[in-house]
Amino acid sequence: VIAGFLGRFAPAGGPATEAQAPARRRLAFLFMGIGIVALLVIGGLTTPSFLTLENLLVVIRAASITGIIAIGMSYITISGNLFALSAEELAILAACVFAFLMRDDYGLAVSLIATLIFAAGSGAIQGGVISLGGDPIITTLAFGALFRGLASLVSNNKNILLGTKAAEWLGTGRPLGVPTQSWAFVILTLVAWFVLQKTRFGRQLLLIGANRLAARASGLRVGQASIVAMTLFGVCCGMAGISAAAQFGLAVANLFSGLTIDVVAAVLVGGIPLKGGQGSPVQAALGAVFIALLQNFMLLHSFTTGWRMFVIGSLVALATIGFHLLQKRQA
Amino acid sequence: MNSRETFTDLAIRAALMVAVYVAFAAALPSYHTVRGAAALLDGGVLIGLTALGIGITMIAGEFDLSVGSLAAVIGVLTVNLIITGMSVIPAIAIAVAVACAFGALQGFVIAVTGINSLVFTIGTLIGLRGFAMIISNENSVTIPIPRLGETDFFTQRVLGLLSPLSILMFAVFFVAHLFLRYTGAVSSVRLGSATPLGFDTLLLSAVTACLIGGIALEGGKGTVLGVLIGLFTMRFLVGGVASLGAPYWLQSLAIGALLIFVLIVQLSAALIRDRAVGPGLLELSPP
Repeated sequence: VIAGFLGRFAPAGGPATEAQAPARRRLAFLFMGIGIVALLVIGGLTTPSFLTLENLLVVIRAASITGIIAIGMSYITISGNLFALSAEELAILAACVFAFLMRDDYGLAVSLIATLIFAAGSGAIQGGVISLGGDPIITTLAFGALFRGLASLVSNNKNILLGTKAAEWLGTGRPLGVPTQSWAFVILTLVAWFVLQKTRFGRQLLLIGANRLAARASGLRVGQASIVAMTLFGVCCGMAGISAAAQFGLAVANLFSGLTIDVVAAVLVGGIPLKGGQGSPVQAALGAVFIALLQNFMLLHSFTTGWRMFVIGSLVALATIGFHLLQKRQA
Repeated sequence: MNSRETFTDLAIRAALMVAVYVAFAAALPSYHTVRGAAALLDGGVLIGLTALGIGITMIAGEFDLSVGSLAAVIGVLTVNLIITGMSVIPAIAIAVAVACAFGALQGFVIAVTGINSLVFTIGTLIGLRGFAMIISNENSVTIPIPRLGETDFFTQRVLGLLSPLSILMFAVFFVAHLFLRYTGAVSSVRLGSATPLGFDTLLLSAVTACLIGGIALEGGKGTVLGVLIGLFTMRFLVGGVASLGAPYWLQSLAIGALLIFVLIVQLSAALIRDRAVGPGLLELSPP
């Protein structure tokens, strides 16, 4: 489908995007599917408490926060801007801003909307610098440091207690038995998939990621697309921050330790190519679910933190090499 | 970039460094003394060595995200070797050799497969952090107290000013400077990883020093002297902010703001330069 769109939009869209892209994506989905099914089967056979509904809900919940941001991140990667290294920091800052507003009695609706607008703005500013030619990695590294400092400033480097139960449902509610974060994760995945595949904006994003020069030559606003992708990413970080603040009833500047790397790992394990123009947010979502399943499996087998990190790191390194070699062979 | 442009570029960056120094010296008496300034530089050894390593990979057009994790592994390894009864110097030598070997291996994989170094080192970042925790049994490892004296020479002062570590850093910078000047093939060198300790903001600080020092991200541009200037600029700023009584967590804010400032200045300069040259071919072509 993408190849068709791209073909129509850009005859000069680069050889790899024409026919191989769907094949590669099917392969990525296949690997992901095999991986998840294999884990489920092995886990179910070897670990009694693994294949229970309760445990799978735990897994989905664990995957949700990473997954929500990974979906935002996938738009950045697909638009050809590599990664944002400020995910963790922006989520922390959003959590602190939300908790701050809730504590000062601005009410749930105002706090929610204000935090999301703030997060969107923080994403847009980074997108603005990137669209001026700033390197995405360095720009987001710099803004990440700024956000972390601001979060410490807002919270005075202490816990901010929400002091009200008004937002509790957002973090701990379970409509139909499924945690709210997981609902948000699933719905967001579907929306992100629809927007990317079925809307004009999504197709432009794919083309811009695939071939920036061709996109610019055909009159697309490349810089604007980076800004929009970063804004959506900011909103995702904002949602994650709000959800965590609501769940714990507080926000603190060292929330979400290591989240950025988890998110990037989900995108990479999902097989979204770094060069942009290919891939789907669904891959990032599956990557997040797969990593959460693996983490849960290792946890039930009492692997220590060090071993779990080592296994995940090796998985990411192998997956990136594997997908890279696959792509080279197809090209 | 010819040597005259390089010189101008470095002069501008040095001016920024002096400006930061003077701004803080106005408020801080400790900046007036040689001893105070030397202490500032001493605090930057770790960042300096990392910045140099990362700078070299950046000049080669690559980017190593895993420096902090490898530094942690090597730190734990060194202490573990000392705990098993090895004396300090051989322990450090072995650990550094391991770091070089790992860096070379990583560089080899990247060179052979042609994979993007940024992506690959994300995997090694996670994996090495896990490995550091495994070999340390998820605790911090410490040199046995009776043997702490053996490491004292690292913290003594030469001429009452600089610690041997600082001098080592200057030596490494000097060698790297010669190396970069007289050989072109730097792409396989991945020194980025031979620092003795690991902490979270290492990558950020090192990258900031490199960028302030004028290393271009697209590779092919940058000097060792520039990295040194960048390092000093950052030390003057961060040390000054700390001396003014700001809490430690505001350092992150200061570094972030400084990095954003440098980025925006560089982007604006590039935009102005492009204007002066005229529109490129692509801008001229009809939409």
